Amino acid sequence: MLQCIFLLSDSGEVMLEKQLTGHRVDRSICSWYWDHAISQGDQQLAPVIASPTHYLFQIVREGITFLACTQVEMPPLMGIEFLCRVADVLSDYLGGLNEDVVKDNFVIVYDLLDEMIDNGFPLTTEPNILREMITPPNIVSKVLSVVTGNSSNVSDTLPGATASCVPWRTTDRKYTNNEVYVDLVEEMDAIINREGILVKCEIYGEVQVNSQLSGLPDLTLSFVNPNILDDVRFHPCVRFRPWESHQILSFVPPDGQFKLMSYRVKKLKAAPIYVKPQLTSDSGTCRLSVLVGVRNDPGKIIDSVTVKFQLPPCVLSADLTSNCGTVNILTNKSCTWSIGRIPKDKAPSMSGTLVLEAGLEHLHVLPTFQVAFRIMGIALSGLQIDKLDLKNLPNRPYKGFRALTRAGQFEVRS
Amino acid sequence: MAPPAQSHRSPSPSQPSGKGEVSDLKSQLRQLAGSRAPGVDDSKRELFKKVISYMTIGIDVSSLFGEMVMCSATSDIVLKKMCYLYVGNYAKVNPDLALLTINFLQRDCKDQDPMIRGLALRSLCSLRVANLVEYLVGPLGSGLKDSNSYVRMVAVIGVLKLYHISSSTCMDADFPAILKHLMLNDPDTQVLANCLSALQEIWTAEASKSEEASRERDALLSKPVIYYLLNRIKEFSEWPQCLVLELVAKYVPSDSNEIFDIMNLLEDRLQHANGAVVLATIKVFLQLTLSMTDVHQQVYERIKAPLLTLVSSGSPEQSYAVLSHLHLLVMRAPVLFSSDYKHFYCQYNESFYVKKLKLEMLTVVANESNTYEIVTELCEYAANVDIPIARESIRAVGKIALQQYDVNAIVDRLLQFLEMEKDYVTAETLVLVKDLLRKYPQWSQDCIAVVGNISSKNVQEPKAKAALIWMLGEYSQDMQDAPYILESLAENWDDEHSPEVRLHLLTAVMKCFFKRPPETQKALGAALAAGLGDFHQDVHDRALFYYRLLQFNVSTAERVVNPPKQAVSVFADSQSSEIKDRIFDEFNSLSVVYQKPSYMFTDKEHRGPFEFSDELGNLSIGAESIDNCVPVQQVEANDKDLLLSTSEKEDVRVPTNNGSAYSAPSYDSSASLSASQTSTDLVTLEPALPRQASPSLAIDDLLGLGLSTTPMPAPPPPLSLNSKAILDPGTFQQKWRQLSISLSQELPVSPQGIAALTAPQALIRHMQGHSIHCIASGGQSPNFKFFFFAQKLEELSNFLVECIINISNSKSQIKIKADDQTSSQAFLDQFQSALSKFGTL
Repeated sequence: MLQCIFLLSDSGEVMLEKQLTGHRVDRSICSWYWDHAISQGDQQLAPVIASPTHYLFQIVREGITFLACTQVEMPPLMGIEFLCRVADVLSDYLGGLNEDVVKDNFVIVYDLLDEMIDNGFPLTTEPNILREMITPPNIVSKVLSVVTGNSSNVSDTLPGATASCVPWRTTDRKYTNNEVYVDLVEEMDAIINREGILVKCEIYGEVQVNSQLSGLPDLTLSFVNPNILDDVRFHPCVRFRPWESHQILSFVPPDGQFKLMSYRVKKLKAAPIYVKPQLTSDSGTCRLSVLVGVRNDPGKIIDSVTVKFQLPPCVLSADLTSNCGTVNILTNKSCTWSIGRIPKDKAPSMSGTLVLEAGLEHLHVLPTFQVAFRIMGIALSGLQIDKLDLKNLPNRPYKGFRALTRAGQFEVRS
Repeated sequence: MAPPAQSHRSPSPSQPSGKGEVSDLKSQLRQLAGSRAPGVDDSKRELFKKVISYMTIGIDVSSLFGEMVMCSATSDIVLKKMCYLYVGNYAKVNPDLALLTINFLQRDCKDQDPMIRGLALRSLCSLRVANLVEYLVGPLGSGLKDSNSYVRMVAVIGVLKLYHISSSTCMDADFPAILKHLMLNDPDTQVLANCLSALQEIWTAEASKSEEASRERDALLSKPVIYYLLNRIKEFSEWPQCLVLELVAKYVPSDSNEIFDIMNLLEDRLQHANGAVVLATIKVFLQLTLSMTDVHQQVYERIKAPLLTLVSSGSPEQSYAVLSHLHLLVMRAPVLFSSDYKHFYCQYNESFYVKKLKLEMLTVVANESNTYEIVTELCEYAANVDIPIARESIRAVGKIALQQYDVNAIVDRLLQFLEMEKDYVTAETLVLVKDLLRKYPQWSQDCIAVVGNISSKNVQEPKAKAALIWMLGEYSQDMQDAPYILESLAENWDDEHSPEVRLHLLTAVMKCFFKRPPETQKALGAALAAGLGDFHQDVHDRALFYYRLLQFNVSTAERVVNPPKQAVSVFADSQSSEIKDRIFDEFNSLSVVYQKPSYMFTDKEHRGPFEFSDELGNLSIGAESIDNCVPVQQVEANDKDLLLSTSEKEDVRVPTNNGSAYSAPSYDSSASLSASQTSTDLVTLEPALPRQASPSLAIDDLLGLGLSTTPMPAPPPPLSLNSKAILDPGTFQQKWRQLSISLSQELPVSPQGIAALTAPQALIRHMQGHSIHCIASGGQSPNFKFFFFAQKLEELSNFLVECIINISNSKSQIKIKADDQTSSQAFLDQFQSALSKFGTL
């Protein structure tokens, strides 16, 4: 089980230390960790490292390193998953994560860790339960504390939910406007080779729900075409049987924003846009041109299109221009071409020359182009929500549905 | 992540340096301690905050202990919490002052507010001061009976903390019994889960001291407890679920119905949002079905999708942990994942450690249907910006080639790499081409043509240079200017820093000399002279050795240095299958990430509270123990069968599959240098049985036939063979040479057998099913040659068989040699019956 958790700032400072068991982990482990990190150079550290004295789990979020130490054998995913949850909960509580906000609120962070883990074993990481034990430091409570002079952020009552059969929800939520929003958010991962053929294409999607509903509502969500889903994972609130038999999501939602389901869809045949890079090199210079355009028009506007790539180290200088959007080349030779929305009347293109190192005739290392885009209003996997039914509610709530697809790891090789 | 500019942080100027500020705080705290003025809590809170922030930065504020305790008389819960935090941090170094805090903590344990009761109890138990334990027992006892579940939950963990401070106090107060009662009766699942983890830890620690504790520990794995926990599993929150699943994975069900019941119950856990729960469930599934080959296969199929989803859904860190488990499964049963190879394609901005795992998986899942695509993909990486990955991918291509799929196309690709003119690509490729030539000498013409064009000046890495020099020596007759290249290398002897390269150079010059003496003479002279003067011991010795050999007799020297070689059929695997099995048993633990079983990296004392000792499976649950033994023991044997059967199924579908990752180790009969090196490695890695065996075998060999010729008592009539017999190729060769042929016979082979013998592997696997193992095989249609061996079950008596099968006339020529000649007829009968069944199944 975890023996100690450190929060380290980017400059190597220990911002927070939480000893969890009788065995005290010395801070020197942090200097070992940094020495190790430096010795690895540019390479990212593996999330699980063995130091001479301890096994370390580490994740880095927004410049903050969450470091957990243990000496005993334990499931590695448990350590990592827990640290991820800690990071999520903290950023949820503090409205983002950075060095200053952690230092300003370190008492709350200690409080939270106290409730999340005891004696090295994770207790609860459910934000709804934690919120009832420790009030988040929001603006309202800050104002309130100034006015009333009582700045306690520890609530006086214990959460009722720990004892209820739906541990993710309290029973006594009251809203004047009952609202529920369902978002389909999909990410397309694809690899396209230099012939323009899709080597691999897959969609990872999430059903995100924002529920502001009174009492203990019971929801059922059904899809038009659930059979396209390859594999699904559910929030603990989803009942398994109805899905098993009819592919219906039946659940009592937690309060607020949560991820109801995530899924994967394989075997997609086409990408919504094409990116065609061309490189021809001749006697020390290389001519680069990239064409971008809409393929298989999804019927919605494609925007936030950017193409990023890293110029190989052997390129001395680059001169690139585009007919649409802007091209930026940073000193570390990474190029970003921001196109924005693809215009209807012309196909965006970028072209220019790369000057190679002396002595090199041809470019041997070919860059990989990473493409980003966003399409509002459509889930590219084709998944469609059929209907959402709500039971146990006093009045008719407002229901909203949205869909969004963006590029995940979308790369084009040249 | 930017590493910090300085690893040893000196406090920045804005940070307080210590002393002055601390004494300042001290006096301010003193002033506030007695004050009852309104608003005093707020100023206290600011001060406390300062104290704790100093503590966090690492400034020693323990001198404020007394003042802090004095200020702690407050009803403000935030103040209390900060005070608890402070006290918890410094009590251990100030045991005397800690006594001061006991009073107010004990009072808080009786507070009206359950939150305060819980917090106070937690802090009280976290003081960890040995001489204060007497004050813990009372509050803990009432905490365990508290009406509020939060307090009970804290109290349960408190008991565990108490146990670690003073185990005798904990046992004397009979807390474990109370915990057990709570575990089976408490309505709150978090309390229950805490009881479970506390009891596991306490009883595991106590088990070595008392019989009763070890019985209690085993009782946690009994059917009633497991069923009780399983029935409530959906009430647990996600982390306790992991704990319960971990326990269930150790449970040994009495029959298959039970196994199916448990799996049906847990099936939906595979869809849980928490990856830790999913992995724990997978572990349960894998462990439960180890003894059921078919179901185990289905489990692999079932868990594939959840694992792949987990990989793509989480953060990179989570993906890595999942991938390392996936890696383990893929390595065990590549066939099952061969259609999912696209999941293992590397994305551009994945980190190195993820890409490396993926490359290894791509390598093992390659089979004849997907090799083309996988190799195409790997070639993409070779042209990539990322140099370490480019190197790894080239190695992966080579490994696939050594797996015998589509060698033709791969050799072409490798040769294309050489034309890319990037030094690291060239270096890696050279090493691979060398290995390929050792296995497939038939490709030498094509390879040599390309390799000959490489200038040795462009190759700098020692390994690559050594490979190039080896090829120059080995194929000097085909390479026009080999002697001259070697000559220039020998002349620049001093520029060569790596002893490995110099050793290779010596040997290569020798080989070249035997083939083209007049041209090489000069190079040989230069190399030997330089070698004799070399400061490296090995190089010097080898040069001297060659020199004397040549002096003695040139033709003898040729026979020693450059005998005709046979192709290496299998290169040794770096990790033994036993270790891989151990890692598999420790699925869902750190072992998997490190790719080492835990005994290799953790001390016994750190083996973890949940790690039960090995004997547990056998001695659990009283009367049922005999039933329980069976699956546990079957596990090992089945492991191997299981995997064999997967590749066999593959064979049925694709009859031309020649060579699977699982075939028996088939060493070349005239084991070349590398094979005999291998065998020494193997001996050290082999399990206990053969290790005992090898000394006596060695004596056997030393005494010539001393032991084996002494007549043995008549063997028991039914000859039973050891199904897991092990013999290393070196010993086999030695014995083959020493023993005389005891039986020689020509046997007919059934037409079905001939039909099934499309590849040597098919027969090897078949014979292994009859406890007859293959040590080497070779030949091409129509003649196949096999060397088999078998061992008697009880005693260390070996049978060695040479079997030549001629497909065209359906005959097999059998020669048997035996340690114990009296039983060789019985063995021949058994061998014959096994052979006759080949192809009929």
